[in-house]
Amino acid sequence: MPTIEISKKDLEKLAGRKLKNLADELENAKAELENQDGDVLKLDIKDTNRPDLWSVEGIARQLSKDKGCPNYKVKKSKYVLDVSKKVNRVRPRIAAAIVKGIKVTDDLIRELIQLQEKVALTFGRKRKEAAIGVYDFDKITWPVLYTTVSPHGIRFVALDMTAAMTPLQIMAKHPKGREFAYLVEGYEEFPLIIDRAEQVLSMPPIINSNHTGKVTEKTKNLMVEVTGYDDKFVQASLNVMAAALADRGGKLEEVTINYDNKEIIETPNLAPKKAKVKIETIQKLAGEDLKPKEIISLLRKARYNAKQVGKLIEVEYPAYRQDILHEVDIVEDVLIAYGYNNFEPEVPKLAVHGEETELEKFSRKVREIMVGFGAQEVATFTLTNKDNLFKKMNITEREFERAVEIENPVSSNWSCLRNWLLPSLMDFLSKNTTKEFPQRIFEVGEIVKINPKAETKTDTLKRLAFAFSNLRVTFTNAKQTLEALGICLGIKFTVKESEHSSFIAGRVGEIRAKGEIVGVIGELHPRVLEGFGLSVPVVGFELELNKIL
Amino acid sequence: MTDIKKIAEMLQDNEIVVLKSFKKKSADRIREIKSLKPIEFLRAGMWLENKGLIKTTKIKKKFATLDILGKRYVKASLPEIKLIALLKKGPKTLEQLRRFLSADELRFALGYLKKRSAININKGVLSITSYGRSTKITLEGKFLLILAQKGELALDNIEPQDLHAYLELKKRKQLVKEVEKQEISFKITELGKQVAENVPSGRRIGLITPAIIRSGDWKKQPFRRYDVEAGVPAIYPGKKQPYLAFLDDARAKLVELGFKEMNGPLIETEFWHFDALFQPQNHPAREWTDTYTLKYPKQGDLPKNKKQLAAVKKSHEGSWLYSWNPEKARQLTPRAHGTALSARWLGQGCQDGKYFAIARCYRPDVIDATHAIEFNQVEGIVVGDGLTFRNLLGTLKQFAIEFAGADKVRFLPDYYPFTEPSVQLDAHHPEMGWIELGGAGIFRPELTNPLGCKKPVIAWGLGIDRLAMFKLGIKDIRYLFSTNIDWLRKEKVV
Repeated sequence: MPTIEISKKDLEKLAGRKLKNLADELENAKAELENQDGDVLKLDIKDTNRPDLWSVEGIARQLSKDKGCPNYKVKKSKYVLDVSKKVNRVRPRIAAAIVKGIKVTDDLIRELIQLQEKVALTFGRKRKEAAIGVYDFDKITWPVLYTTVSPHGIRFVALDMTAAMTPLQIMAKHPKGREFAYLVEGYEEFPLIIDRAEQVLSMPPIINSNHTGKVTEKTKNLMVEVTGYDDKFVQASLNVMAAALADRGGKLEEVTINYDNKEIIETPNLAPKKAKVKIETIQKLAGEDLKPKEIISLLRKARYNAKQVGKLIEVEYPAYRQDILHEVDIVEDVLIAYGYNNFEPEVPKLAVHGEETELEKFSRKVREIMVGFGAQEVATFTLTNKDNLFKKMNITEREFERAVEIENPVSSNWSCLRNWLLPSLMDFLSKNTTKEFPQRIFEVGEIVKINPKAETKTDTLKRLAFAFSNLRVTFTNAKQTLEALGICLGIKFTVKESEHSSFIAGRVGEIRAKGEIVGVIGELHPRVLEGFGLSVPVVGFELELNKIL
Repeated sequence: MTDIKKIAEMLQDNEIVVLKSFKKKSADRIREIKSLKPIEFLRAGMWLENKGLIKTTKIKKKFATLDILGKRYVKASLPEIKLIALLKKGPKTLEQLRRFLSADELRFALGYLKKRSAININKGVLSITSYGRSTKITLEGKFLLILAQKGELALDNIEPQDLHAYLELKKRKQLVKEVEKQEISFKITELGKQVAENVPSGRRIGLITPAIIRSGDWKKQPFRRYDVEAGVPAIYPGKKQPYLAFLDDARAKLVELGFKEMNGPLIETEFWHFDALFQPQNHPAREWTDTYTLKYPKQGDLPKNKKQLAAVKKSHEGSWLYSWNPEKARQLTPRAHGTALSARWLGQGCQDGKYFAIARCYRPDVIDATHAIEFNQVEGIVVGDGLTFRNLLGTLKQFAIEFAGADKVRFLPDYYPFTEPSVQLDAHHPEMGWIELGGAGIFRPELTNPLGCKKPVIAWGLGIDRLAMFKLGIKDIRYLFSTNIDWLRKEKVV
């Protein structure tokens, strides 16, 4: 969720009106007022798919006294940006705009950097899909060329540096170079923007040059450029930047992008986009009999142009809105303009009856019986590690069964999903060695087992594990509990001696019911106790509830 | 009945023995009673002290006691005494003496006796002097015997003549040692003295046994009075885990409201996790939540329903303008949001109804007081022809009232990549104030249509962990999965 800082004074000036109920008004721009410190508003913008809202200009547009689709004029111009076919192998698309006659202040520079960073970070996926450069237009000699250069092929002074360096040196030495080097990893040549006078503008998506790529209070005219892979991101990002600068009083001019004479386009393209929406769709979805006139007025408030054509509303909306894919996107804007809290909530009338799953009902029954036996229920994490599952349990993963393993764990402590439950209880006991005994605990919890035949290659199963730790406990204590549970559930459990190195040989058995093996019971092996740092004996069992349901 | 008398009647037999012994011994302090084992003596003293009848003093004291060699010499006598005894039978050469004494013993005994002119050495032959002949035992020897008899002696209690012997012995290796022990002594209080005067005589019934009941003794003997106001040791009943009990309540409430429970796997394919939810494979929306990836197993299967699969592909490619990759959709991931479960459920049919799940979810987040490594999402869907935005708000309002006891609700525009419109639910909790309780919306048609569902589907999720924390009085979300058995034992049942 992008967080931005803006000036309230600035916001009201741009919106052309006073904002009385600030927090409420901001909701219309999906902005949440995090805090207010004098004139500075800190906002969380909830819509991660609307970069046009991530600036004071964008918020102001949404709350403006003006209605209807904002109209941005883009002057034709003679400025050309040539694109070499060499960039096809690295970063193929570019779009650019010229902004003239803008008053550059410290505040504006800060605003600009904030918007540029937010758009490139969140919408542009950390500059991968959209990297943005802003330049001092008056230092550029046209035409400009977007091409590639070998890692040692040129030397220039990168932004905020003093010495000229090769692209490779910049990757190694400049903070931004190091941060974003992974974006050009594996490229034989790096993207480069250079002008007719052989002055480097920038090395996208990494860094601007210090000469043309530095904007100061002395700058009068700007050039903005966006590079990436897909015009959907590239042009949308440019439109967001261009619209914000135009709202500040900048005069927009086109740049002709010439893709090796094969494709020639002019950017930015801020002509409003068109769409249609059925009046009935709006009314049905809203659940409110909104009249066409009212809908049109709401749409204009949401910065659309709208007119009724028969059963349809035809709309025009600003080019920076790339999020509108379907009628429902327009409907939401109508609902927001109407005010969510102005609707009368109504519980759906459906003939339904509530129900838990059979497994859940059964689990609760088991849990209640276990509580009746005087056991304390515990809840543990399903994430664990191989040490707990295998090593400390005195078994090997190979002889037991493989566990689901996470590739990018936050910590190696939580790098596996458990494939049996008793280790969780042992781990729990290990955290309570100084507490009062007896400790009689149980958990009904989920485990994940590998199943190559299943759609997800795993089965999620519910199990009951019980552990009883006291100075004098024996196998009998565990078996008594198991048998009592069987009586309560009306299931006949039998125990057949088996082998399992987590338990003492001759004091472990498999539990059978309904003709299959459903669990294991025994006295935990002292090596297991040692592994978990326990010095009080433990007996226990584990049962698969799915099998005895 | 006076308090003094009442207290006297509550006393147990051992307490009475201790209390009476003050008078019998007419002692100010007592440290032991012969008829009681030390543990019984101490326990009785503890009980009496709790009642204010005696005062216990604990002093750390140093005691002298025998060490390993000392114990041996008590039986075999000290080497110097042994040497005297040998020489009394006639002069001996060193060679001869070595048969009876070790080199160390001999060296020490020679030095010791020579210093006291008890022996003469002449050209390697040892003989006894007249002084030596009169010596039977040394001071050290005597002291060893006393120590052997008493077991231990408080250092401040050793007689002056013995003290010298003790200090001499201490210089020698492993004969005596000093140990520090706590000496406990009881002193009777004024109240104790009064109570002692009122101690009932004759047998009283303490523990009622079957024999007492059958014999009818209880008709003849009085019962010892118990202090029913005294503290007792804690016992811990079987109990549900507090957070799980809270979730049980939530589940019961949802069932009451007509919701049917869904279930699904903890490990999910990206298909149900993202693609079926209309998340393009290469779009920032797909990163709306960071997810884990698996090292093993890596890939699952795509759904068997080919029509559905083709429709999802078409929906993605038509709306997002890219080439949809089925391999990416096969990737497995631990479930990061319960909505995956709703998608799977919807894919199995589009029956009118209200559905819910309490789904364990995983996200590779930083772990702190507000982020656990795994958490439960309470969420679900409502499917029905003609459902509207007002129905969405109605559903949410009902949740706010049922779950948070809200007296006010507020709806805010929100964003979820798979719903349009999207709503944030804020509830005004009578004690917590405004809280963000949930997020919801109406599934996008690009999501529902490919799954074969032409009806509006309301999707909702509730963040009830904060309510749980409030109810359980905890500040750290990790405590919902507490590993502290004491907390679980002592937490109230909600």
